[in-house]
Parts: sequence; C-alpha cells; structure tokens
Amino acid sequence: MLSLHLLSSTSSSSSLPTIVSLNCCCCEPSNHLPFPNTNLGFLKVKRQPKVSNLKAGFWESIRSGFGKNNTIQVIETPSSEEEEEEPLPEEFVLVEKTQPDGTIEQIIFSSGGDVDVYDLQALCDKVGWPRRPLSKLAAALKNSYIVATLHSRKFSSGEEGNAEKKLIGMARATSDHAFNATIWDVLVDPSHQGQGLGKVLIEKLIRTLLQRDIGNISLFADSKGTKMRPRS
Amino acid sequence: ISDTSLQSKGFNLHRSITNLNLHHLNSIFVSVGFPQRDISKIQIALENTDSLIWIEHHKTKGSPVAFARATGDGVFNAIIWDVVVDPNFQGIGLGKAVMERLVTDLLNKGITNIALYSEPRVLGFYRPLGFVMDPDGIRGMVYSRKKKKK
Repeated sequence: MLSLHLLSSTSSSSSLPTIVSLNCCCCEPSNHLPFPNTNLGFLKVKRQPKVSNLKAGFWESIRSGFGKNNTIQVIETPSSEEEEEEPLPEEFVLVEKTQPDGTIEQIIFSSGGDVDVYDLQALCDKVGWPRRPLSKLAAALKNSYIVATLHSRKFSSGEEGNAEKKLIGMARATSDHAFNATIWDVLVDPSHQGQGLGKVLIEKLIRTLLQRDIGNISLFADSKGTKMRPRS
Repeated sequence: ISDTSLQSKGFNLHRSITNLNLHHLNSIFVSVGFPQRDISKIQIALENTDSLIWIEHHKTKGSPVAFARATGDGVFNAIIWDVVVDPNFQGIGLGKAVMERLVTDLLNKGITNIALYSEPRVLGFYRPLGFVMDPDGIRGMVYSRKKKKK
C-alpha cells in the first residue's frame, strides 16, 4: 500500500535555535566521560530509574558553548546511533535549566499518557485551536495508543517538593497496535516554542512506536508546517 | 448497492471479526499486492481496529471477498486501511459497498475527519465516495527509516 503523499521524514521544521538537539551531529558519543555521575548529583529526581543509562558526554560541549547566563543541563539526547536499541523510559527529564535567580526548570517527557483534560484544553486554547468538548478530548486521549507529553517543573533549588508543574506540550498517536500508527495533535505551548521541543516530542513518539514494532507511522501536515495537524 | 440487493446476490455483510477467516483475508491481501503479513499481527491489528466491514459470499462462509477497516481515536479522527476486494469479485460494486458503509458508520459515531492513503491509480475509486485529495494543502506524510541508515 503506497502512500500518495509519501514525503521526506518528519523532521522538516525550519532551523530553530534549540537547546536539545544542538550539535547532535557533531558530538561524538563517548562512554568514558563521567557525565551521568557528576551531573546527576544535584538533580534529586526520584523516579527516573533509567537516567543513568543515557549516553554520556554528549552535551558537554553544549554546556561550555552556551553563552547565556543560564546554566543548562541537558540530560537526554534526542538522537544517537544506539538509540533504537535502548528502551525508552516512560518518563524522564529532557532538559534542566537553572535561571540566574536560582530557580530550576525541568522539562519532563512522558509517554505514560497521564494528561489532565483541563490542562490540555487550556494548552489548545493557548495555541489557538478551536475548542473541543472535554468529554471528547478525554475519549480521544483514552483511545490513543500513545500520548506523549512535555511538562515543565519549576522549583527553587532545594525545594523540589514544591515544584510547579505545567503541561507545555503534547503529541498523541492512534494505532492498530500491529502495523500502522498515525500521529495527531502535536502542540507546544507558545511560551516554550522555538526550542526544539516539538521536534523532540515527535522523535520520542516515533522512537517509542518503532520500539513497539509499529512499522508504518503517518501523519498529516499542512504545507507551512506551522499547524502540524488538522484541527477537527 | 443496498443491503437487500447484496443479500439477494448471496452476499452477507459483517461488522465484526467473528467468523472471519484470517488466512483467507491474508491471501486476499497478497493477491492484490499487499506484503504477506503475520497472521498473529493481523489478529492484533483487527482487535484494535475501531470499525471494520467485510463481505462474504454465503457459499464460502468466513472467507471475505471484500474488506475495509478504520482505526482512530473514536471521536475526532479515523484512517481507513486495507481496503480490498477479491480480484475474482471485483467490478460488481463490493468495494463501494464496504466503503460507503464504513464511512457512514464512522460519521454516525461523530467522526468527521476521515482520511486514507491511496495509490494514484485508485483515486478514481475514492473520489466518488466523497474523498478529496490534500484539502487545504494538507499532506499525508509517512516516516521513512531509510533516512537514518548509516
């Protein structure tokens, strides 16, 4: 079954300055740098069982290369050669930034699908999508094979228990669990756009689908790529 | 082509996979050019399909002569896959019969965004059923792993 609209891969976004995917092609993945141990020290994130398995050293050069005042700790790499072999954890910290005032913001990716429909509706409002009934949104999420989310957690150093958690991105895929999957409703909060988060959402979603052996992944996009999905 | 007309010609219509012979379904897929697929995977796919329609001839119960299914989220979107008619039974309107009913079933569920991927040579089959190519410039895209080959 051929697709009439078979085009190139989905990473067709225009060149945006990104934190997460910067230099991913230039860096040599190295397993010898002590990255996981030294830098995870102050993370204190409790339920990230697989963080220490992630590729080492990848982002050392990014940290040093960044001229901003923020200290940016990038924990996960979006693409690497061994990526497809390692199982993707259900939830992990994607990016961690320390603001000059000491507050820490973490961007957390999750494929667990735990989304509050009210949060989702608020996010849809923010990106300007037409309102859809909450019950239908809930049903759509429930009937989706994978719901990937990005949450932002903000807290002052040492006060992780008081973190303020906000939904800032989502992408979902429906599937027959065997052959085909279709990606719908990709959205990123405008306040967090331009950082490559949408790209990461899709990449992680695809990776999860591929690891579950779903070979045919499709989506519908408009020509500008600004709206990535038809908003029914 | 109405239900009564189908029945009078000896065809039965089904909306569930009960009694559907998957081996026969798979052989029809292969006969129209689909790749050979694992029966157990087909079983999983059909169990996780929102809507499906198949037609059998009463003389060959369980063996489908026409088939179509749709996956989706059950409320907003649906994609139609695997539309096939046994080559021996093509040309008498069975494909149209399954498609019309599948689309109606989806619309009745309130699903208004119905899409499918079509080979260029069968666009003429889908157009009279109400399908429009690339509405508003929206394009379907498929993930290609070839790009990542080292």
